[in-house]
Amino acid sequence: MTKIIGITGGKGGTGKSTIATALAYELAKIRKVLLVDADVDCPNDHLLLSIKRNELETVYQRIPKFDIKKCSRCGKCGDVCKTNAIVSIKDKEPIFMQTQCNGCGSCVYICKENAISWKKKEIGKIYSGKNHNIDFLGGELKSNEPVSEFIVNALNHVIHKNSKDYDFIIIDTAAGTHCPVIAALEMCDKVYSVTEPTPLGKHDLEIILELLKELKKDSKIIINRCDVSKDKLIHDLSKIYDVSIVSEIPYSEDIVKSYASGEPISNLKTYDIIEDLNR
Amino acid sequence: MKTITILSGKGGVGKSSITASLAIALSKYKKIICADCDVDASNLSIVIGTTKKESWNDLSTNEKIKFDYNKCTLCKKCYDVCNFDAICWDDKPILKEFSCEGCGFCELICPEKAITLEKIYNAKIGYVNSGYGFKVVSAQLNAGASGSGKVVFEVRKKARELAEDSEITLIDSSAGIGCPVIASVSGTDYAIVVTEPTPSGFSDMKKAIEVLDHFKVPYGIIINKFNINTKYTDKIGSFADEHDIEILARLPYDKKFTEALVNLTPIIDYDTKFRPIFDNISKILIDK
Repeated sequence: MTKIIGITGGKGGTGKSTIATALAYELAKIRKVLLVDADVDCPNDHLLLSIKRNELETVYQRIPKFDIKKCSRCGKCGDVCKTNAIVSIKDKEPIFMQTQCNGCGSCVYICKENAISWKKKEIGKIYSGKNHNIDFLGGELKSNEPVSEFIVNALNHVIHKNSKDYDFIIIDTAAGTHCPVIAALEMCDKVYSVTEPTPLGKHDLEIILELLKELKKDSKIIINRCDVSKDKLIHDLSKIYDVSIVSEIPYSEDIVKSYASGEPISNLKTYDIIEDLNR
Repeated sequence: MKTITILSGKGGVGKSSITASLAIALSKYKKIICADCDVDASNLSIVIGTTKKESWNDLSTNEKIKFDYNKCTLCKKCYDVCNFDAICWDDKPILKEFSCEGCGFCELICPEKAITLEKIYNAKIGYVNSGYGFKVVSAQLNAGASGSGKVVFEVRKKARELAEDSEITLIDSSAGIGCPVIASVSGTDYAIVVTEPTPSGFSDMKKAIEVLDHFKVPYGIIINKFNINTKYTDKIGSFADEHDIEILARLPYDKKFTEALVNLTPIIDYDTKFRPIFDNISKILIDK
């Protein structure tokens, strides 16, 4: 049975990608592993594992195209647009702001004059690759495009098609808790939230634990740089949310050096996590 | 009033720590207000050391649909038109709550008027008094809620309302380059890209810069932890030279940063050796 594992955490820079790539690296020595970089805003896993990415497909978003000759300036397209991408004042031509549009389609439907049709705009790409026996899949949003979750959805479709080929699929999410993170967590059977024992780590972890509870995901906590503070902030939170801590990884100069130079991190202790996965 | 946004692309490079100390340094020279626009995980006020919220109210920027199954004729039109895969079909339409963007297309198309849009409270918004004489406006998106971009606009609006005679608004944006970051940088007067000298930091910095170029926002760079990899610090330096980008400051990697965080004290107050660096950035910013 394929296990789909999410690596998330809320706060940025806690070590999500470091742990996701280190885990993939270890698991791939004995099992079939697909690593998915779902941080499509700022993907880094391919850098950490020196994976050469090959373009797999282009991701498009539909956006409305206005035929002003047909427009009767009724203003309805602007009325139905919930993202304020269309400003239409009655008796004036509608003004369309691309970067606000999520392609919902209400304006195309409501226009009585058929003055609005569709066009495609490229919003990003998805890539595949391979290194260290790890199959890689990743997405990248084009700059100035707002809807990251469309790229994540495209990744999800590829995962769905190919999941049977793998023992483990590791999905590395973006920081935060909004749409692209939720989309990336959707397919996961098990989720690890990576945090650090600082007040910020705790604050952001609490938000992601709330989200995981809402999403009804089986989740556990990984404390990275567990020795930067003696406070038991994360342990307290783990009790409150009844989510156990699967691994505590100490701060290591070697890891920082490997990370800073872009070498695969083979010296990070992942056996607690692997043991938990095999349970 | 001038608006300055701090962003980074990559998370965890020190955006909030730097914003907090910069705000404190700037507030010596100018009246300022801060807007924490990382609405997924709003934690600027924690770094500044104050968490006592002066007002903390429900905010609604989104709607979600509701089905009236008594009226539904199972025509499947709603299912067919949803662009967000938010409606799944299990003998009848079922809403996948976390995927619904509240666009309202299904409500428009339903011939039986079996779908209604309902206002949802997707965030909380408020502010804290920092103890340094300026306010920090913030919002927190509810778990699983969508609409982060719109919530960012509300935070910026609230900051304008509370600004009084402030001369500078300092915006702390979220990680990434998607919708909440675009909402944080659009229409801002100047931006600071915080980066670190690692392959990831460098790659993500370039993505953040592309967004700023698109929105025609002028910007400078702060290299944090510059001493962890001098090769990449040099790379960032040559990139900045080539593109005529100003490097506002280079901050060293120092365990004091983590200690300051753990002690809920901004680094500028935790270790005075950092004060001149932030004072210097402030002076550069004031002249912008």
